[in-house]
Amino acid sequence: MRTRAVITSIFASIGVLLIGWQAGQTATTTTVSTPQASGTTARTSTTTSAATSAAASSASPSVAPAAPVGPKAKDGTYAGSSVNTQFGSVQVQVTISGGAITDVTPLHLTDQGGRSVQISNYAAPILHDEVLQAQSSRVSNVSGATYTTDAYLSSLQSALDKAGF
Amino acid sequence: MPSQPSTRSRAALTSANANRRQRYQRRARTGDLLVMLLWTSGAAAAALFLAYGGAHLFGTFGAAVTSLGIVTGLVGTDFILVMLVLAARVPVIDRTIGHDRAIAVHRALGKPALYLLLAHGVLLLIGYGITTGYNPIAEIGPMLTLPDMPLAFIALGLIIAVVVTSLVAVRRKFSYEGWHFVHLLSYFAVAFALPHQLSVGGILATGTPQRVYWIALYVLAFGAIVAYRFVEPAVSSLRHSLRVDRVQQVSPGVVSIHFSGRNLRSLGSAGGQFYIWRFWTGSTWWHSHPISLSAMPTDRHARITVRELGNGSGRISSIARGTRVSIEGPYGLFTDAARTAPRLAIIAAGIGITPVRALLEQSRLAPGEATILLRASDTDETYLWDEVAELATAKGATLYTMVGKRSRRAPTWMPQADAQRGVTLKSAFPHLLDSDLYICGPTPWLDLVEADARAAGIPAHQLHSERFDW
Repeated sequence: MRTRAVITSIFASIGVLLIGWQAGQTATTTTVSTPQASGTTARTSTTTSAATSAAASSASPSVAPAAPVGPKAKDGTYAGSSVNTQFGSVQVQVTISGGAITDVTPLHLTDQGGRSVQISNYAAPILHDEVLQAQSSRVSNVSGATYTTDAYLSSLQSALDKAGF
Repeated sequence: MPSQPSTRSRAALTSANANRRQRYQRRARTGDLLVMLLWTSGAAAAALFLAYGGAHLFGTFGAAVTSLGIVTGLVGTDFILVMLVLAARVPVIDRTIGHDRAIAVHRALGKPALYLLLAHGVLLLIGYGITTGYNPIAEIGPMLTLPDMPLAFIALGLIIAVVVTSLVAVRRKFSYEGWHFVHLLSYFAVAFALPHQLSVGGILATGTPQRVYWIALYVLAFGAIVAYRFVEPAVSSLRHSLRVDRVQQVSPGVVSIHFSGRNLRSLGSAGGQFYIWRFWTGSTWWHSHPISLSAMPTDRHARITVRELGNGSGRISSIARGTRVSIEGPYGLFTDAARTAPRLAIIAAGIGITPVRALLEQSRLAPGEATILLRASDTDETYLWDEVAELATAKGATLYTMVGKRSRRAPTWMPQADAQRGVTLKSAFPHLLDSDLYICGPTPWLDLVEADARAAGIPAHQLHSERFDW
């Protein structure tokens, strides 16, 4: 009788863990796909999350495919789209000057869940420096701030798209 | 003519035995299911983390440490909630494995749960520290600034206090009431830990199914405690309005307490079960006493027999007539319902005779089905023996008695004289392997009988013991 209990426990536990793992797989793929859908840009910095979900659902193709070596981007300040994460929305603003990224300012960073603000404050300067150095949104993940990084970079990319950078 | 009743009784015996086997199998199935639920709930706690995408959060060393810290916290908390359920005296658990085994599992989970929660705290301090560049001790400061974290630190402190005071070596230094008071703090510990789980971690974020599941677990655990440890006993005590009717001295230091009440049969007590009694006088109300019924209750009358041990029990004998009594119960599987085998063997020592007396009274036995062995270290300890003898005669059971002190040299549960005479468990109970063996008495003695029975080859499910030490 005890063997039966042990065996069913093992199977049920493995089953539950597999379901959790599978659910985790789908969860991460959806969070990764959100940035890809952020083609449209929000005009103002006061975007709410509603605007983002609209942006995500409209998924209009971005203007990005401009050749990387093509005409230089116009100088100015561009706000990226607001990207939702489970820790709050993220939106950044990029400043282009002389055809180069000269500044990235966060308009809104992850702030839901107790540690989010701490993580945001820690990750934002690192991302800022990396982006300025790389002159693109293709920089490495800040460990311990994966969600913030993903959202930060996709908001940045949407701003760069808008600038034709 | 004489052959007819005997055939009938043999047929009844066979069908009773078939019933017993069925009941036992059902109980074993439920037991297995409960074990499965216990372990699966632990796995489910870890699965919550995986479902959050946790498997991807092992990318760097810091993240891996943090992730591990989160998993240990989830599983540790799940174990604590399981422990609450096990201690809640949920009827289905008591009926399936019995209250004493439920508490044994509860105890066994205590240390692992504490280690997991300590690991949770330490790993997260290290993990967060790596991320932010602080050393783990310095990380405590920033962590305490997070909302709900001060409460969580208090919760961990309380859990440490609860588990440490329950370690066997430490618990001996406390009175039961002192230990119990510290133990009650675990409710606060579990409650104080909840806010940080819901707000700091992202796993149980608002709107996630994980949050719903987790809150449901909390509701289940606390609901079971509130329902079965507070509401149900209070309602039942009020409804049956028990009062002390008479206190009768049956032997030096041993009294029978008779109670009067209403509809006591509807409590559904089985012979061999116990209640937790509380006598509502100014000096006794904070003590509760787990005591077995020493006779089957009638509608208006119940009886327990108590040996005066320690502080609380010492005052029972002087309790005044008419004192209000509240009860929790009935609990325990030292009953006829737990039987699995065709024959019945009973060994009782000292005050351990009380549940045996009630069990015997309730059991329907065929002549020759039961063998009883009563044990006392001297003649003062032979209380209720006359009642058991009467019942044994009425039910056609064989009764043996053994009076005398145990040998100090060799570990035996028998009096020295009997052991030297070559009496063994098998010689007293020739059908032992076909019997359910019910043992009740002081723990060190009982452990010896159990070991002897196991050595004789009795299967675990035929062994039923009631210990008087918890």
